[in-house]
Amino acid sequence: MRKLIGYELRKLLGKRLTQMAFLAVLLLSALFSISTYQNKYASYGGIQASGGEAVALDKEIAARYAGILTDEKVQQMLADLAPKSGPQGLNAIYLYQNAMQSAVSARFSDMYGNWNGLRVADVFGEEEIRIGYVDGWICASRDMQKGFLFLSFVILIMLAPVYSGEYGGVDSLILASRYGRTKCAGAKALAGILAALLATAAMVACNMGAAFLLYGSEGLDCSILFARLILTEGYIPYNLTCGALLGYQILLSFAGAVGTAAVALVLSAACRNPMITIVASAAVHIVPALLPVPESSPLFRLLALLPVYQMQFESLMSLGQLRGGLPYAVWALPVSAGLLAVGYGASRRIFASHEVS
Amino acid sequence: MELKTVELTKQYGKKKAVYHMSVTLNAGVYGLLGANGAGKTTLMRLLCALQRPTEGRILLDGKNIEKLGEGYRNLLGYLPQGFGYYPDFRAIDFLRYIAALKGLEGKAGERRAWELLEEVGLSCEARHRIKTFSGGMKQRLGIAQAMLNDPRILILDEPTTGLDPKERVRFRNLISAFSKGRIVILSTHIVSDVEFIAERILVMKSGQIVHYGRPGEITSEIQGQVWECVVPAGHADRYVAELNVSNLRNERDGRTVLRVIAGERPMGNARLVDPNLEDLYLYYFREQPAGGRRARGWGLSEDASGAEECGRDFGSDVESQCEGGDER
Repeated sequence: MRKLIGYELRKLLGKRLTQMAFLAVLLLSALFSISTYQNKYASYGGIQASGGEAVALDKEIAARYAGILTDEKVQQMLADLAPKSGPQGLNAIYLYQNAMQSAVSARFSDMYGNWNGLRVADVFGEEEIRIGYVDGWICASRDMQKGFLFLSFVILIMLAPVYSGEYGGVDSLILASRYGRTKCAGAKALAGILAALLATAAMVACNMGAAFLLYGSEGLDCSILFARLILTEGYIPYNLTCGALLGYQILLSFAGAVGTAAVALVLSAACRNPMITIVASAAVHIVPALLPVPESSPLFRLLALLPVYQMQFESLMSLGQLRGGLPYAVWALPVSAGLLAVGYGASRRIFASHEVS
Repeated sequence: MELKTVELTKQYGKKKAVYHMSVTLNAGVYGLLGANGAGKTTLMRLLCALQRPTEGRILLDGKNIEKLGEGYRNLLGYLPQGFGYYPDFRAIDFLRYIAALKGLEGKAGERRAWELLEEVGLSCEARHRIKTFSGGMKQRLGIAQAMLNDPRILILDEPTTGLDPKERVRFRNLISAFSKGRIVILSTHIVSDVEFIAERILVMKSGQIVHYGRPGEITSEIQGQVWECVVPAGHADRYVAELNVSNLRNERDGRTVLRVIAGERPMGNARLVDPNLEDLYLYYFREQPAGGRRARGWGLSEDASGAEECGRDFGSDVESQCEGGDER
């Protein structure tokens, strides 16, 4: 069986189209990261910086206030960072100078840059908010999310020929052989799932490597809630550390990859050629995201558990928490496990009962 | 070992590709002859359990092959017509993959793969990618993969397609040596391949076996119906169009010798000869002339010199023979 899985993996990963598509998604991902990094901007004390210098400046400012967020720290930050020269008609809340200034102004300042009277407990309740340099990690997470959505299509392209690629003639040889309808059918499905997981692992490794390289390791224990305004508006509304955020994102991306693989496998077994499989599986994959279902609808809570939303991650994670404090998104794991079981079983069975024509 | 089909039928919509076929095959080489669309490939796929019969059963030693499943496929070697392959695989890797599919583990599979590459003359190309192979090389690789598991039942669909004469001789020898105690079924359009190695011939037409027997016996069916006649070279084309001509040979003296299959003497100088398999094939699968009337019209009424030379106007014979052919 192991040998057969090896051969199937080799067939899948050896395809030029797969290699090109995977390379393209890695390049795209790198472009997202580099573009985000280069567009960083920060100013403080008359210094204006962009790119790597802006990141360094933001980190330097964040380091001064790192730790648990208290009312004293809020006052200190407002005193140090809030715009003093008069916003000339601009609302100070939306005025961006650096990441820490934007974070504190968005929650504790009025439109003139003065304290708005809210205490930490008023804004965050009883939650303990650890602050620090979180800007890099949230940006990395958002870039990764875009990359994963493209990756899901690469998985569909990669797995399309698992079964349907054989229907062009090799199926006669496979299905007339001893293990063609049994072990081989299973090995194909397992190799497909493994290939999807490997592609996801490679993508995660590249993205995380790039994030560590560009932003360093600071801030993983800090809350995503105390970030600059543009990163938190419409974002995950509950307290998570950046480390937990990335952990959930990686977990859901693997779950999404498995669910996507399951869909691709079933359609690959059912369709007679890889191109039709790609089109059909892409349609099935993307349709839930195109349905006009508002996020407030109970139906959306179900749709969001499907692979396309697992890859999109933010929408799913924004659906709140369960009673124990776990994100609602964890329900996506049993959904993916179910898809995996159905996809593995159904694709195997369809291929095993295939009649050569 | 006995492989038996019982009232085997395979239908695609209204078309019956194989129709109520009952035949028993024991160890030996069987040549399956038939025109395109006769149902040979469908029969082979049914025997390989690649298709399910619409009606009937296939039994191996009395057991239904569908129930034998993996146990049956373990005894099977199959070369499909125009078989698929992985262009980027090297020949040896392709055989290793098929060996894994056939359950040949470790060194035994590896040794057998190399042995077969040697036997089909591909050992020097073992590490070349299949996409660089010629049609004949691919076909030889296909033959090798079919024989990997030392199958008790070997089914070869058009195995000699693309092989040059030397390769065909090598293939025939390979099959002859391999066939002892096994059932080997091969279909081909190249009648001479079957003639040399098949112990029994199955002639298939419209989904049914219309003739079955040893090569020597089977041709006796048309004993007394194969003629050789000499015509002027310039008239040969006309005779070919009008008669069921199985062979044509130009002589140096400007005459052409025709081998004609006909129920009656086709022309005055015709002499009876012993039939061969090719004659039998044409006897069963001859095409009707483009139109009996038209053929007859231009036959010899305008210029009967050739026929006169042969001593006979055969226009009416052509028509009667076509009608006779249809009846069969």
